[in-house]
Amino acid sequence: MVNPVLLIVVPLVLAFALPLVGLISKKNIKYIPVLAFLFNFVISLLLIPKVLHQAIIVKIGGFLPPFGINLFVGPVGILFSTLIALAGLLVSIYALSYIKEGSKEKYHILYLLLLTGATGVVLTGDMFNLFVFFEILCISSYALVAYLGNKAGIESSIKYLIQGSVGSSLLLLGIGLLYGQLGTLNMADIANQIHSSSSPSIFVPMVLMITGLGVEAAIFPLNAWLPDAHSSAPSSISAILSGIAIEVGLYAVIRIIFTIFNASSFLMFFIFLGVLTLLIGEMSAFSQKNIKRMLAYSSIGQIGLIMFAVSLNTQYGVSAGLFQMISHTLGKGLLFLAAGYMIYRSGSMDISSFEGIGKKMPYTSLAFTIGTFSIIGLPPFIGFASKFMVIKAALAKEGIIFTVLIGLALIGTIIESAYFFRVVQVIYFKKGNGNQVRKEAPITGLIPMFIFALLIIFIGVYPNFIIKILNSAASELLNRIDYIRSVLG
Amino acid sequence: MDFLSNYIYYIGAFGLIFIGLFIILVKHNLIKVIIGIGILDTGVNLFIVAVGYISKGTAPIFSKSGLDAKNMVDPVPQALVLTSIVIGVAILALALSLAIRLYQHYGTLDLRKIKEQRW
Repeated sequence: MVNPVLLIVVPLVLAFALPLVGLISKKNIKYIPVLAFLFNFVISLLLIPKVLHQAIIVKIGGFLPPFGINLFVGPVGILFSTLIALAGLLVSIYALSYIKEGSKEKYHILYLLLLTGATGVVLTGDMFNLFVFFEILCISSYALVAYLGNKAGIESSIKYLIQGSVGSSLLLLGIGLLYGQLGTLNMADIANQIHSSSSPSIFVPMVLMITGLGVEAAIFPLNAWLPDAHSSAPSSISAILSGIAIEVGLYAVIRIIFTIFNASSFLMFFIFLGVLTLLIGEMSAFSQKNIKRMLAYSSIGQIGLIMFAVSLNTQYGVSAGLFQMISHTLGKGLLFLAAGYMIYRSGSMDISSFEGIGKKMPYTSLAFTIGTFSIIGLPPFIGFASKFMVIKAALAKEGIIFTVLIGLALIGTIIESAYFFRVVQVIYFKKGNGNQVRKEAPITGLIPMFIFALLIIFIGVYPNFIIKILNSAASELLNRIDYIRSVLG
Repeated sequence: MDFLSNYIYYIGAFGLIFIGLFIILVKHNLIKVIIGIGILDTGVNLFIVAVGYISKGTAPIFSKSGLDAKNMVDPVPQALVLTSIVIGVAILALALSLAIRLYQHYGTLDLRKIKEQRW
């Protein structure tokens, strides 16, 4: 059997071995992330059938939980680690020719560390370990946002850093408060000792932890950093930040709400917060002229929809939320990758500078269009299947309030389609001035876009392909007793 | 007086946390904000050490005879704080190096004047 700890160890070791490889051959360091995530992707795929049968618990150093650190590789963990490895692999192929300026060595090290942190967060079963991996993720993303070193990048990076570090201090304070009361850091053991989260001594750490993680997850009042950071990072990093980093933050919030604190009585609050996040994200995106800012605000909207679906607290709702996460990772990843070369070739982030680009860069434009259609939720793309599931889940939960809220969410979708169709119109139906030479993106840029688009169409046509893992992931999140029992024995 | 001597570490820790948050929210100079982040971190670290501390406690070494397990200080929070201090140093170093670059671009560290990115 393959040990799942390799999913964390291999990228981490390769990240620090990368400068040594750089001493031998500077040219080949860019292939190391591709190798690392190819390995992770294959291992994750191999582990899926075993994990669906029974969750794997890795006891690091042989210490039995709750004393040592353990990894909990359940359906949720393996779902996310596969997604992270897939996105990491495709974006690292894209970066082979996209990253031209700056110190490439540092880019690749930070990129590997960012995704190591993300994989660690989704697999760990220890509270403090989660904090450490979360910090690895955050610090490397602060540095990567500033990678280009221009005015906008530095300014957004420092904003992101200040808000992010206050958030992580609050998370640590919450962990400290919990440790002081319960004397344990193991997530299953904490969950075992908490029966209700309404007493103030449990409620205060919960609020601190959710606020701290909410900064990274971009939940509404805490997301002021996101549009700046996502729009000034290099496009390959924007794709990862938008597709992986905020979803991992949201995963941690969901894990804390469902498994650790069993806070189902507060979920109504998160439903409202989700709809609010959705509407604010979409309305701000509507008024943007900068393509990357528009995509960043659209990510906020998507996060709101995911929060809404997951907070419905039904088996179907949680699976719908996880499905929406996958759909967002694939769709937004594709959009940022395509937008990266469109910006590169037209030299401006302004949407109006894309006039007539549809004829000059047909494949990139086609990829961008598939991405927009999927995010809006047109059939036969994955966005349709996931949004349909969210709506069905909300309607299945009886009560007039859910019908009203899903109506508001659909208004958000209409706004979304308005601004995305505007971009598609500019790309295809506006005549640009014919003098500009705009080449098609290079082959290493087109391959990842092609694979993303293929997956979007394939899962959109045949959603049953992943429905089994989504269902078992949802039941893992909803059955905290099973989680506790499988770790503590 | 008894209250003060029993809870002095907690009072100090939360005092530092609130001072740190106040500096981050109110000050306009970037360097001062970074100092605020440092103070906030220190407050959280002090709090975690205080959670496991016993007054006049000893190190938890079981091989030495004559030591009572009741008087041993919990070693886990100290291990946590070591990690968290290292993370804090990394954040401060990154923040200061970004501040240098920001000064090169704008010629100022006043956060009210650095406003190119907005909603």
